Amino acid sequence: MKSFAYVNAAGEKEAVAALGPERGRFLPLAGGMDLLALMKDYIAQPDRLVNVKGLDRAIARTPDGGLRIGAAVTLTQLAESAEARRMYPAMTDAAAEVGTPQIRNVGTVGGNINQRPRCWYFRNEEFPCLKKGGSTCYAVDGENQYHAIFGDGPCHIVHPSSLAVPSVALNAKFRVVGPTGERVVDAGEYFQMPDRNLFGETVLAPNELLTHVMLPPPGAARTATYEVRFKQSHDWPLAFASVALSMSGDTVRGARVVMGAVAPIPWRSPAAEAALTGKRLTEEAAMTAADAAVQGAKPMTLNSYKVQIARTAVKRAIMKAAGLKTV
Amino acid sequence: MARRRKKLEAGSWKLEAGTQQQPPPAAQAAPPPAPQGPPRNWPPVADRTLIGKSIKRLDGPDKAQGKAKYTYDIIRPGMLYGRLLGSPHAHARIKGIDLSAAEKLAGVKAVLALKDPAGEGANGKAFYQGDEIAAVAATTEEIAEDAVRLIKVEYEPLQALATAAQAMSADAPAVFPKGNVSQQSLQQEGDVEAALKSAAHIVEGTYSTQVQTHTSLETHGGICEWEGEKLTAWVSTQAVHGARDGIAGSLKIPQTNVRVITDYMGGGFGSKLGFDYQVVVCARLAKLANAPVKLMLNRKEEHLVTGNRPSAYAKVRAGVDAKGKLVAFDAETWGTGGAGAGAAFRVPYPIYVFPSRRQRHRDAYTNAGPQRAFRAPGHPQASFITEVVLDELADKLRLDPLELRMRNVLSATDPSQEDPSRQWRKYFPMGAEKIGWSKRHPTGDPASGPIKRGMGCAGNTWGGAGSRATRANCQILPDGSVLARIGTQDIGTGTRTLVAIVAAETMGLPLTGVKAEIGDTNYPFAPGSGGSVTVASVSATMRIACENARDELFAKVAPALGVEPSALAAKDGRIQVKDAPSKGMTWREACKLLGVQPISADGAFGPGLSSTGTSGVQFADVEVDIETGVTRVKRIVCVQDCGTIMDKLTAESQVYGGIIMGLGFALYENRILDRNTARMVNPNMEWYLLPGMSDIPEIDITLVDQPDRGPVGLGEPPVISTAAAVANAVANAIGVRVRKLPLSPDAILQALNEERTGGTL
Repeated sequence: MKSFAYVNAAGEKEAVAALGPERGRFLPLAGGMDLLALMKDYIAQPDRLVNVKGLDRAIARTPDGGLRIGAAVTLTQLAESAEARRMYPAMTDAAAEVGTPQIRNVGTVGGNINQRPRCWYFRNEEFPCLKKGGSTCYAVDGENQYHAIFGDGPCHIVHPSSLAVPSVALNAKFRVVGPTGERVVDAGEYFQMPDRNLFGETVLAPNELLTHVMLPPPGAARTATYEVRFKQSHDWPLAFASVALSMSGDTVRGARVVMGAVAPIPWRSPAAEAALTGKRLTEEAAMTAADAAVQGAKPMTLNSYKVQIARTAVKRAIMKAAGLKTV
Repeated sequence: MARRRKKLEAGSWKLEAGTQQQPPPAAQAAPPPAPQGPPRNWPPVADRTLIGKSIKRLDGPDKAQGKAKYTYDIIRPGMLYGRLLGSPHAHARIKGIDLSAAEKLAGVKAVLALKDPAGEGANGKAFYQGDEIAAVAATTEEIAEDAVRLIKVEYEPLQALATAAQAMSADAPAVFPKGNVSQQSLQQEGDVEAALKSAAHIVEGTYSTQVQTHTSLETHGGICEWEGEKLTAWVSTQAVHGARDGIAGSLKIPQTNVRVITDYMGGGFGSKLGFDYQVVVCARLAKLANAPVKLMLNRKEEHLVTGNRPSAYAKVRAGVDAKGKLVAFDAETWGTGGAGAGAAFRVPYPIYVFPSRRQRHRDAYTNAGPQRAFRAPGHPQASFITEVVLDELADKLRLDPLELRMRNVLSATDPSQEDPSRQWRKYFPMGAEKIGWSKRHPTGDPASGPIKRGMGCAGNTWGGAGSRATRANCQILPDGSVLARIGTQDIGTGTRTLVAIVAAETMGLPLTGVKAEIGDTNYPFAPGSGGSVTVASVSATMRIACENARDELFAKVAPALGVEPSALAAKDGRIQVKDAPSKGMTWREACKLLGVQPISADGAFGPGLSSTGTSGVQFADVEVDIETGVTRVKRIVCVQDCGTIMDKLTAESQVYGGIIMGLGFALYENRILDRNTARMVNPNMEWYLLPGMSDIPEIDITLVDQPDRGPVGLGEPPVISTAAAVANAVANAIGVRVRKLPLSPDAILQALNEERTGGTL
């Protein structure tokens, strides 16, 4: 691991001041679950780490009846918050599925949302892939069984965050602070496709910090996340889905359907949302929406099986939100 | 230079060894003549106070509390940290190595080039990713890690072979000096073509298993410390004596100048049987730096260079007659064990009788780390292929697959004799009863909904005889303490506890009355802990050493009691007259008679105290979600023998471990090489999937004790059948045959899709 300087930031301002505009040179350190692994593998080689563990780690009600989650809140804290669970099961279900208990005890909400991709070509230093400034995406004609089934490249990662997907489904807003002040970004606008941003995955500038996730009041929405993973212990989802359904009786008035682990960003499906809207919530309606969700998938050479898994995840997330049996 | 060449030769030697990996159960190699001596026996079953009981391992509390120091934990005064630079290319010519920048880094104390750009063959080339190019020793691990990255190596990347198929293709580049593919070997019995013509049903298919890495929790490596010309090496090894000889040979120093110590060891599974190149590099760094050096591999290197279970492919035609008797098995097989290493396995699996059989096999060489012995080499692959074929034949016959096994499994050659190493006809019904086989539905769960349930089974065999070369020493000290010393090593199986059990049982003492010392080349020779030879070798030999020591004590005590030594027994902490137990003295009183002269008695392995040959069966009960392809194993039932059970707890522990490892092979583990560069994409525990606690099902073990046989090894048998049983259970659940491992969601969904679009059954 390359030697680095270490700054303990007392507050947002100090933290932002200690970051800088050059990508990768100055990095915020919260739980370190992702960053330390990147550094040990020489994928990240920062000159300075800025400790932001001291920033807001509270989950608080907002005046409008929503929830404001500090970026330094741990995943365990979020998963075990009774209030969050009651209001946004899609979010707490996702938090509870991350990694292992040890990772959830240390890993933070901000860290989960901003973690780097798990693509094995990105993570192994021998492969100078596009994201590392190289000229090739090795996944295209290589080992792409876990890669994207949506998106046109040129990089084919799947977004690694479990919380990003329900954040988009719940229409969350992210509070971002930078050298010139703060801004609020819709979760749906926060993540960026590789054709717009190859060297990062979000709109966050190198000297900006994500400080809060703000969830709007849940109203009568029913929300759920359903994750398909192979192993029960410490594994990444093969595909998952978060849904938020606004209901009137048992009829869907509006829906947000977002898939995870299928594209370089949380992948929202307007077609699935349209298929649900105005329908009674039944297994058939869920199935129709799930079929619509994977329409237009463009699997790579080895991952067409993920289309079926994504379809199942969407169907079951809808059924879970509706309180129906998922299997 | 010579050393590098030797390294490749070692690979080709492994190839030959590989072809002998799977002896037929009855055909053990003729042993050298055994040392002569009085006939030896274990105490009568009723008199055993420790053997066969559930005894907790003696070092369990120390391990749980972190007091037991593994090689990885050892820190010596002034110790440096070594790191290796491995080739990032799977195949490359080394054009130049510039160490200067690394040498200049503050904290770096020694730097070594391990390849020679001017060298011939393997000396000037890298044949797989991770192939060692250079090494560094520095004051911290981090500096050493930074330093290897400062070494400038000029590579000329060459075309690499990532898969057996690439190696075997007609337009493959010539990568290996003797060709990319071995000569075809032929094993045959009877006339398969004629037998297949006579068959009522034939199954044809191609079956395959993946490359599995050992993934020992403690990685390979050691700590080397010189004192003048004498080297002490703490090594994570399965063979302290083998490691000593290998290190001495490589460094060209007398074996007497090398001492190898392995107090505690974090898993090897066959990968730590050979001496390790990195320990030799470590010793050279220590010499150069004039300080102790620790060099342990990281997880990535562990996956890349410390061996693996080769892949296996089999194109099979097998036939059965209308009465359910197997008639023929014909297989064209291949596989890859990496760079210059073999990929042997024998089909059909030898516990089933196919009167006519043929196997034509070729090894394909690829640019990947060479294979090493891996828990039951060849067996899990052969078991999977054979047992899946059996279930397919049973389906064609519309016969219960259990019944097909009962009709065709090996039994005693002479029907009037019972062969204790061939008990499958007994164990299959026992396992069936436990798993609830009577509730098994025919292939394809008729239940509605996406979750399908199924059952499957498979059998196994192994040798596990003791080694005639084993020696042991037992000392009885005047204060009554007992020292049992043997140069074996506890690779996590409980060998230290076993040694104490044998010594205490023989002396009639409690476990606390004896001290077991192992894991040191200063102790008498014992073989490497591989091939399941340890329990038989160590128990029998330590029994003899302890009896010899005890008999010397009897000779001292007998005059005091006015009887012949042969009239004495050691029991319940006393030396007493067999026929008049009240006549005697306590163990301590007896030992006081030694004055100042302890007893030290040696033992050499002898016959009569151990045996060879095991049989076992496993059953699996699984659930498959056909909408996701995800399989969950609900339950594994195992019926297994291992001769005389020495310690029920550690024996069960072996079986748990074997089954969990078998489960990894069945479902999860897969070394994935990038097909274009032959670099491993998952050299970690993130994408190299291993079963975690929540993935481990209920495991129901029935150990069948054979108290009169003496112990037989149990290391390999429990890993053999798990994947086959799980694969058969999956097919029983989903109604579609998956002919390759691992049974990933991808493989299951693909098989289900093929069924929908034309069918594989």
